[in-house]
Amino acid sequence: MAELPPPLPAPPPAAVSAALTTTNVRVTSSFSGARIVLYGAVFDPTARASDVVVIVRGPDAPLRLARKTKVAGVWVNSRPVVFEGAPGFYMAASTRPLGQIASFSTLRKLGAGVDHLRINAPMEQRTETRYGVRDVVVSGLGADYLDWRRAVVRLKEAAGLYAADERGVTFVDKGLFRAQIELPASAPIGVYSAEILLFQDGQPVSRRIRGLTVEKAGTERTLYLLAHDRPWLYGFASVAIALAAGWGASVAFRRN
Amino acid sequence: MDLYLPIAEVSVNAPLLVALGAAVGFISGLFGIGGGFLMTPVLVFLGIPPAVAVASEANHVAASSTSSVISYTRRKAVDFRMGGVLAAGGAIGSLVGVEVFRWLRLLGQADLVVSLSYLVFLGVIGGLMLMESLGSILRRRRGDAPAPRKDRRPPWLYGLPFKMRFPRSRLYISVIPPVLLGVFVGVLSAIMGVGGGFVLVPAMVYILRMPAAVVVGTSLFQIIITTSLTSVLQAGRNQTVDIVLATLLLIGGVLGAQLGARASSRFRAEELRALLAIIVLAVGLRMGLGLFFTPGEPFVLMAGNG
Repeated sequence: MAELPPPLPAPPPAAVSAALTTTNVRVTSSFSGARIVLYGAVFDPTARASDVVVIVRGPDAPLRLARKTKVAGVWVNSRPVVFEGAPGFYMAASTRPLGQIASFSTLRKLGAGVDHLRINAPMEQRTETRYGVRDVVVSGLGADYLDWRRAVVRLKEAAGLYAADERGVTFVDKGLFRAQIELPASAPIGVYSAEILLFQDGQPVSRRIRGLTVEKAGTERTLYLLAHDRPWLYGFASVAIALAAGWGASVAFRRN
Repeated sequence: MDLYLPIAEVSVNAPLLVALGAAVGFISGLFGIGGGFLMTPVLVFLGIPPAVAVASEANHVAASSTSSVISYTRRKAVDFRMGGVLAAGGAIGSLVGVEVFRWLRLLGQADLVVSLSYLVFLGVIGGLMLMESLGSILRRRRGDAPAPRKDRRPPWLYGLPFKMRFPRSRLYISVIPPVLLGVFVGVLSAIMGVGGGFVLVPAMVYILRMPAAVVVGTSLFQIIITTSLTSVLQAGRNQTVDIVLATLLLIGGVLGAQLGARASSRFRAEELRALLAIIVLAVGLRMGLGLFFTPGEPFVLMAGNG
């Protein structure tokens, strides 16, 4: 009886790893945005077709959206709708268009891509029992909900705060990829996370999270803290500067 | 040279802001007004959040008004007593205005109220001033005698109680009209980010009937008090004063105001008024007419906390 060859060990699962060139962005008086490069590698002995998706999320902040409506010939803002927990910054970069990488429901579950971003307007929502099913979420915005959601994304994109780059992740060498994160000057302060997902056959097989902090530094930080911790002192100081400057200019010009 | 503003949280071009401050300061010194009605819309246009623009602008107006009021004081063209009474009203108005502005922001209607206020107040005042000044320019060109100044003071001004003597304005009137005028201007100062000189000066001339010589100086004096208070209140209550933005503006502003005050002696009063009327009218229309056009983008995004 010929001996069977020892069974092949199961191939180790594919994994992804990544690092950011900068993990701490300092917002000083000369801050005009930042460019951060993300490098990563895919470890996969089977060399199956891999796709990489990088999702960067900034700190969540509630935001309000109003729609302009015409009232008596004048364009007036409607009552604003509060959206809770919309990320202050959102960027999705991938090797291919997201729709080709994974199915709609997978992307929705992962919140991957601006179309699948979770932005809720809980004030407009209530739960009801419908057709015998309890706790069905009903949005007060009704069929318009998608319009409102798209408007949030559109306006944030216009401000450079949301971005989707279908070819933003590029393989520079076998298994080695890079992506670029462009932070505009208006990027919010706080803790960001960069999520790196490896997709094979439409499924996420490996995931890494890297942190990134954007913080005010130097004079910017001192002034910001003063304005919020000692608002009255800050107010008096700014008025004192104004009055002193006015008086100073008057005196200087009188001498001339 | 770009500079990141700590409160507005946007990056701006510093020399551009100093130059704008100087240009508005020049106009301020030339016409004896604060110039806030010009600067606030420009700041919003440059991408500064409106709440920060309104609050920081109050600070800039305080600086350029101080710069010009000192020369008026030397010429004894400031009625401190009248200014004090107006400022007392202004203090109440500014307290109310800061709270009203807070409430309007929560409702999401701050933009609308600001645009409408610009359209109505600047439109009406600019229009009236333009008609009046064009009238007197035409009369002078034709060589007619100047229109007789209607010196009959409105009787209701004298029927009201709490009378007070204002020797420098040669008035003995009730304090109620000036206090109410002050309240009104204080509210405007907080909501529109203006000093309110464009309302105060005509009101002092046509309603209170103060002598023209003391009107501008007194108006500037009251504006300093009201805008200083608005500035402190906005910083204390709303944390919306950007000290870096205000400082950039006032560096240019105080210098411009001095140059403007010197240049003002080279022009005739009615020509200056006509020019100012055109500027006021243009700003009012620019700010307000947008409300009537179908917007390109039907949605507006606002900060979550108002």
